[in-house]
Amino acid sequence: MISCQKMSKSYWIDTKMKPVAICLVLLTILASAQQFTSQQRRHWAFQPVSRPGVPAVTSRDWVRNPIDAFLLRNLEAKGIRPGPEASRNELIRRVTLDLTGLPPTPEELQSFAADASPSAYERLVDRLLASPAYGERWARHWLDVARYAESTGFEDDVTRPNIWRYRDYVIDAFNSDKPYDRFVREQIAGDELWPGDPSARIATAFNRHYAEEGNNKDLMLARQEMLHDITSVTGTAFLGLTFECARCHDHKFDPIPQRDYYRLQAFFANTDHDDRFPLVAGDKLRQYESRLAEWEAATKHIWDEMSALLMPKRNYTPAQLLARYPDYVIQAMETPLDQRSPMQTWMAHLLASKDCNTCPVRPKPYLDPTFRSVVSKLAPTDKARFEQLDRELKQFEQLRPAEIPRGSGLVDVGGEAPPTHVLGVGLYTSPGEQVEPGFPSILDSAPPLISKPAALKSTGRRTALANWLVNPANPLTGRVMVNRVWHHHFGEGIVATPGDFGVMGARPSNPQLLDWLTSRFIEEGWSLKRLHYLIVTSSAYRQSSLDRSEARKADPSNRLLWRYPPQRAEAETIRDSALAVAGILNPAVGGPSVFPPLPKGAVTPKGGWDTSRNAADQNRRSVYIFVRRNDPYPMLNAIDFPDTHESCPRRARTTTAPQALTLLNSQLAADWARHFANRLRRAAGGDLARQIEQGYLFAYSRLPDSTEKDAALTFLSRQTEVIRTESRSHEPPEAAALADFCLMLINSNEFVYRF
Amino acid sequence: MPDPTIQSRRDFLLSTASGLGSLALADLLSAGPAVNDLAPKPPHHAPKAKSVIWLFMEGGPSHIDLFDPKPELEKLAGKTTPPSFKLPVTSATGSHRMPLVASQRKWKQHGESGLWISDWYPHIAAHADRLAVIHSCWADGLNHVGSVRQMNTGSILAGRPSMGAWTSYGLGASNRNLPSFVVLTDDKVVRGGPTNWGSGFLPASHQGTHFQKEGPPILDLAPPEDVGESRQRSRLDLLRALNRRNAARYPSDDELDARMESYELAYRMQSAAPGAVDLGNESEATRRLYGMDDKATARFGTSCLLTRRLVEHGVRFVEVYCGSGSGWDAHTGIEANHTNLCRASDRPIAGLLADLESRGLLKETLVVWGGEFGRTPFSDTGAAATSANYGRDHNPWGFTMWMAGGGTKPGQTIGATDAIGFRAVEKPYHVHDIHATILHLLGLNHLNLTYPHNGRQERPTITGGKLIVEALA
Repeated sequence: MISCQKMSKSYWIDTKMKPVAICLVLLTILASAQQFTSQQRRHWAFQPVSRPGVPAVTSRDWVRNPIDAFLLRNLEAKGIRPGPEASRNELIRRVTLDLTGLPPTPEELQSFAADASPSAYERLVDRLLASPAYGERWARHWLDVARYAESTGFEDDVTRPNIWRYRDYVIDAFNSDKPYDRFVREQIAGDELWPGDPSARIATAFNRHYAEEGNNKDLMLARQEMLHDITSVTGTAFLGLTFECARCHDHKFDPIPQRDYYRLQAFFANTDHDDRFPLVAGDKLRQYESRLAEWEAATKHIWDEMSALLMPKRNYTPAQLLARYPDYVIQAMETPLDQRSPMQTWMAHLLASKDCNTCPVRPKPYLDPTFRSVVSKLAPTDKARFEQLDRELKQFEQLRPAEIPRGSGLVDVGGEAPPTHVLGVGLYTSPGEQVEPGFPSILDSAPPLISKPAALKSTGRRTALANWLVNPANPLTGRVMVNRVWHHHFGEGIVATPGDFGVMGARPSNPQLLDWLTSRFIEEGWSLKRLHYLIVTSSAYRQSSLDRSEARKADPSNRLLWRYPPQRAEAETIRDSALAVAGILNPAVGGPSVFPPLPKGAVTPKGGWDTSRNAADQNRRSVYIFVRRNDPYPMLNAIDFPDTHESCPRRARTTTAPQALTLLNSQLAADWARHFANRLRRAAGGDLARQIEQGYLFAYSRLPDSTEKDAALTFLSRQTEVIRTESRSHEPPEAAALADFCLMLINSNEFVYRF
Repeated sequence: MPDPTIQSRRDFLLSTASGLGSLALADLLSAGPAVNDLAPKPPHHAPKAKSVIWLFMEGGPSHIDLFDPKPELEKLAGKTTPPSFKLPVTSATGSHRMPLVASQRKWKQHGESGLWISDWYPHIAAHADRLAVIHSCWADGLNHVGSVRQMNTGSILAGRPSMGAWTSYGLGASNRNLPSFVVLTDDKVVRGGPTNWGSGFLPASHQGTHFQKEGPPILDLAPPEDVGESRQRSRLDLLRALNRRNAARYPSDDELDARMESYELAYRMQSAAPGAVDLGNESEATRRLYGMDDKATARFGTSCLLTRRLVEHGVRFVEVYCGSGSGWDAHTGIEANHTNLCRASDRPIAGLLADLESRGLLKETLVVWGGEFGRTPFSDTGAAATSANYGRDHNPWGFTMWMAGGGTKPGQTIGATDAIGFRAVEKPYHVHDIHATILHLLGLNHLNLTYPHNGRQERPTITGGKLIVEALA
């Protein structure tokens, strides 16, 4: 691993610095020291991460690991006893849903029940963490933070064809337990740090997920919107600070001066997207490139003639199109390449990446999806000629190399970045003081050490930021991630606002626990799987979720965790669990996204929805469903799928009538229920009582008691009669009644909540 | 902090002897925190309007061809815009260097107020004395999606709640069996899609519900065809039994209660919503009033009549799009484009105003008309007015909107654009000001309507917003 900038107590001063430089640094520090009040400096989140001693507690038997001691101390102080351990069935259901997003199968229930060894639960946890379903579930949490979507948003919501590779990258990162510090560095600067590693380049798509208005002619405005997005998402995702207020003025609550906002932004000043970088390297790439060049040369005369035929039929020539851009863009494009300023170079890079009808820079004809759009306007003779050329082109097809896989992410446009200015109310038209890249000065006011990568035309700025973020002395990066993980396990973070560790954010409910976990997380090589293991094997996690009135009286909101808090499952878990109990979940991992059918009556979103043809594709896990930024898949959207226009640290958890309608009346839910019922009949034959038992086992991970069984039997017989009387069902009444039973299991709270 | 001595709603229902009485009680007692989002809330001050109808002319109607005549433009036609009018860095299509083009409309003053309205809107002109016409609106976005979104949410970027969502959040629903915020569109998708009626960072229960054109108005409102009324009811009875069994173990988890209750609400919606949208009981005369007897006006007329019914049924905020998917976006061929769309919307809007008035609803219903921006005085392609191909570019720098009813002061114009209708120069009012005024008429102070998000108490007008005092009666 590349060594990080040392950030020990004296981390501002490099021993190799000249005395003058040291004085300058000290002056900067002094200046910034005056900038903040001592109260601001004392804010808990800015203090170094400590390693508190594990507290002594009375009920030592309950303590399985230090997490329990930290929690128990606070419970005991309030005179609350911790809860009893959950039943085995409850435990396996809870931890399986939590770690994999799927309910345990009856076989898994049985083998866990049959495992009498004292470490049965720990072995279960190991198995779950090793399952690919773990990465599919936990990647989704990170995708929320990354505002992951597969289209541009704005008017046309155009698909970004290679962006799904980022989703697979995140799944792989979780499944392979990629150290979090490496995960962070790859996402900020993977292209600079590991230029030969395709996955590190794909990782940079983290900041490619900004929404983008393709037809915006004011390129400086487009650039500024992109930078604003990247700055605020980077700030909240890794540092848990809300930077966006400081876009226009000094942050009103947190010690983030407007100047710091633009200093953070300056790390990305020369960054733009590249949606077509090759994912093969070395000989393979060279071979592809040389064959492509051969093919291009051999077909050039054909493409040229075709272009010449089409050009008069286009509404506008490139020159006419360019004439419609602002003066400063025209000027940039008319400046010879070697005389362009870094900003002009940046604008040219952005223009070249556009492949729409209104762009003055036309891509190569074979890369231009609109190339043939005016063929129908050709006069008959020209059209005949065009078609003949097209046939000639086909004869060269065997020369053309097969397309190589490509990725989407960020690059620097060159080694020199355009200047960054503090902008009056965030507008590029009101530039103020020029600033250089810098870290939030409340955390580190020393200028970053930036060096350009040797073999790459890149500024090296993002590398400096990436390394600083994961320096163990950074008080936020580790805490923020540990808290995110805790948040998902317990439904609420130790800091209840996972995206805001600032003054307006919540205070940690147990600061020592957060610090102990963070220091251990870093010590253990930033391993997320070890962190999960520690948390889910604690006594605290294994507590029953049952209510206890005496504990509730003392701590009504369960802040101290005297029970396991029930939590409604996310939309994805509800859908995936329903597919799983219906026996139709397709467990295939990775690859391009799928498009389950839209509900009857739903409008096809702008940007399109190319419904997957076969049922197996439609029944993939929800993390593989295409995310159209403006119109997420309706079933997920109904149940609090996040708005992907900004980073989502914590999903809303709403209960609405349209959600009920979706799960109750949709064709989708009817299909789940029908398959679920078929499965029960296959498993239990015509024995109704056994069908009911199996239904409970699949849906609730437990058997029904006799009251429940009787109630279900009564329902089945009555409902069969109702259906027979209505005589609207095409199915036999018994089958339809069983499907109704299955549908209500899926709709019920016991299925939808994690207890 | 909840008072543990207060029984949970469920305990109360379970303890009442008869299940029959309990359902009626369910409506009286609040149903738990999440569903309770939509419970009616007191306004900040006495409201003038109970509901808002927003007639959204998507794509940007040309104010200088409809409400804001500019004789000066006839003198300057064919010339490029004089520098004194301060051209922007760019317009949407870069047409700002193109020659000016005069309006081809015939203009007349109407009513006692003498408002100028062009011959494109003859029926609306008959209601001139009901309108407060704001000539000096301006917005930030150049392109459709950002501008439509700003008109709905205040920001050109996605992620913020729409005004309908803020209204629902601020006031709750007055009919809990219907959504509090409904959106009606033509067949094409509104630019920017559902982000225009989203709830942003507010709870999702406040988001707008996009009513379907055909069949049941809400997605999945009706069960599949093979499920009859009694089958559906007994399914729900089983569900309630399953949920009660589970809830007995968690007596104080309100969210479980709320989820149980949401199914009953869904069930009631299933029977209430189709009635609210059923136009079957409307008389022939009413249908004619809305132009439903003419193919050209039937579509938007149907939307307008449906809107009146929804408002009557207590829906707080109805947004009706005319020309959804940038219908009014006449970069070329504005004569044909606007002739069609004005025809499509003129009788329906006039009918809606007349119908609301005759039912006594206009005084408590605020009607807002406008696009996401207006159109430029310069020709988009450079074509002269003599060419059928001439059109106009987007103009967010100055454009017209009007309001009627709901506590507005009728029969007047407010503010002015410059001599060519390009920039708002006299009493300029930003989108935030329009929003502040709408909320004010609903009894909400835009400065006090807040929600905590990312460390800030967010409000509908972000950092701006002042009342258009001239518009208030």
